[in-house]
Amino acid sequence: MNKGFRQSQAFLHTWSGLLLGWVLFLVFVAGTIAFYREGLNRWMRPELARVEQPMAVLAGAQRFLEHKASGAKSWFITMPSAAAPGAQVFWVPKPKPGEPPRRRSRRDHQALIGASGEPVVARETRGGDFFYRFHFDLHYMPVLWARWIVGFATMMMLVAILSGIVTHKKIFKDFFTLRRGKGQRSWLDGHNATAVLGLPFHLMITYTGLVTLMAMLMPWAVVANYADSSKLTDTLFPEPHETRPTDRPAPLVDLTAIARDAERRLGAPIGYIEVTNPGDAAARVVVSQNPGSMLSTRTPRLAYDGTSGRVVWQSPAPGAAAVTAGAMIGLHAGRFADAGLRAIYFLCGIAGTVMVASGLVLWTVKRREKLPDPARPHFGFRLVERLNVAVIGGFPLGIACMLWANRLLPVQMQGRAEWEIHCLFLAWAGAALLALLRRPRQVWAALFGATGALLAVLPFYNLMATSHGLPATIGRDGMLAGIDLTILLLGCGYLAIAVRVARHKPAVRRTRPNRAARVAEAALEPAE
Amino acid sequence: MTGAGRAAPWQKRGDMVLRVIAAIPLGYAVASLWAVALARMLPGARSEATVAATLLAFAICAAAAMWSFAARSGWRAFWSLCVAGAVPAAIGWASISMTGRL
Repeated sequence: MNKGFRQSQAFLHTWSGLLLGWVLFLVFVAGTIAFYREGLNRWMRPELARVEQPMAVLAGAQRFLEHKASGAKSWFITMPSAAAPGAQVFWVPKPKPGEPPRRRSRRDHQALIGASGEPVVARETRGGDFFYRFHFDLHYMPVLWARWIVGFATMMMLVAILSGIVTHKKIFKDFFTLRRGKGQRSWLDGHNATAVLGLPFHLMITYTGLVTLMAMLMPWAVVANYADSSKLTDTLFPEPHETRPTDRPAPLVDLTAIARDAERRLGAPIGYIEVTNPGDAAARVVVSQNPGSMLSTRTPRLAYDGTSGRVVWQSPAPGAAAVTAGAMIGLHAGRFADAGLRAIYFLCGIAGTVMVASGLVLWTVKRREKLPDPARPHFGFRLVERLNVAVIGGFPLGIACMLWANRLLPVQMQGRAEWEIHCLFLAWAGAALLALLRRPRQVWAALFGATGALLAVLPFYNLMATSHGLPATIGRDGMLAGIDLTILLLGCGYLAIAVRVARHKPAVRRTRPNRAARVAEAALEPAE
Repeated sequence: MTGAGRAAPWQKRGDMVLRVIAAIPLGYAVASLWAVALARMLPGARSEATVAATLLAFAICAAAAMWSFAARSGWRAFWSLCVAGAVPAAIGWASISMTGRL
């Protein structure tokens, strides 16, 4: 590889990485947490019992909907399992004749059927779903803007990864190299180790991330082939023929019988059940396979006649390209992953987060020694340095505060779910303010220390205040125990980093005595 | 960068602006036009060709951005990407005007 090419790519790597690095950090953190979205959905509702008998819960969901929403246009039921807090149900009421279809809030038409088969009330929270949405929708801004920002950042990430590979002279040697306590060299080694260690994951997650947003980011192939893009949607996501209500009442078949039949035919657990025209002779039940049971997100579906329970339709097998796209999206979301693989996803996500964070810090470490006056860095340097503190130090603190808010906000509070999230951003804003006002080194230590303390104490609070504390869950509810242990471990990790940062004394180079004085002066504003 | 080794500061800056324009808007345009051309040219069902072309377009987009900074000069990056976009534009235009869309 010629030298000019490598240099040009090093430049590209530095700047594409820096400019979108902060967005990428947020996306990486939220995405990593979102691998435990389902687990957090349960962890953040500690009053709910675990689902032991999914079919009994499904029967309860049907009883509830027949009582509450018998004349609805359609029902949606997520199939309960031990991994979910229960069966989430919602229904779409029939539009009244002469009345324009109103967009009522979904909240009036939904319920959670718990392990007992009865509707349950849990504290209002977005749960792990918040991290899943924040990963690509961000917050406090129109979804479309957020997705373009995240999509653009992802493309920059792809460019940064590819140019980063080119920049590397000794990619395999670097993988086994970690020189500790050597300033810039150590940062570079840390950046390289996390980047190279997770390289297949980083490339996969970035490219497949673009694919999840492809309809928005790259619609031009569709435009080239279709004057009416709904024709493509019909091909890619086929639906059974819609039935019109007959206005002849007829009892709906037992949904558990349909669920059992569908699981037998599909050879896998089912995920969603949709009932149209319930209680009518033209009722129809569509069942789709659980997305956690296969790699591709294009899950097969079956349609049943709602009164006889006979199969009337099954989704045709998708084509090779559609399966490829579905598998890429499936790889990105990792829904198919079992406990072990999920842990590897999580660790790779952490490696990616550290890669982005260390890359951002490396930018300042590399430039600090070349500054004309290290005690008074120029504006751009200070901006990057402080943004690093605000984002890398502040966002995790915000998340820790949000988890505490989930435990401490009054259960009856109005807009509670939204306030949990406000707590995240308020804490983060406070951290950012601190980063602007105080010396970076102090703020690094303070933010890491506070994050560590908040996280490390949280499992003990759970132990005292909920029935899902650690000794009760270990061996019986691996997911909840795992989340508590992970929080404890991350808390200890943050505390250890905080101690190291606070104690850190930047090395004075002895080989260049003429610079030693200047570097010593720089110690007032030390390397992170 | 390599092309502007001994150039004046404003020339260096102009070179960089050209590279950024080549990398971001032009790179996206080239990828989009190749998505169009591939969607028309790939064999098999139209829906399959459409999806496959979209999947490939992101790789083209990244390659175009890398090329913008690897090229000897900003101008070279700029016009070479214009050519790289003109080819699929011609293919796509000819194909659509001959057989139309669904």
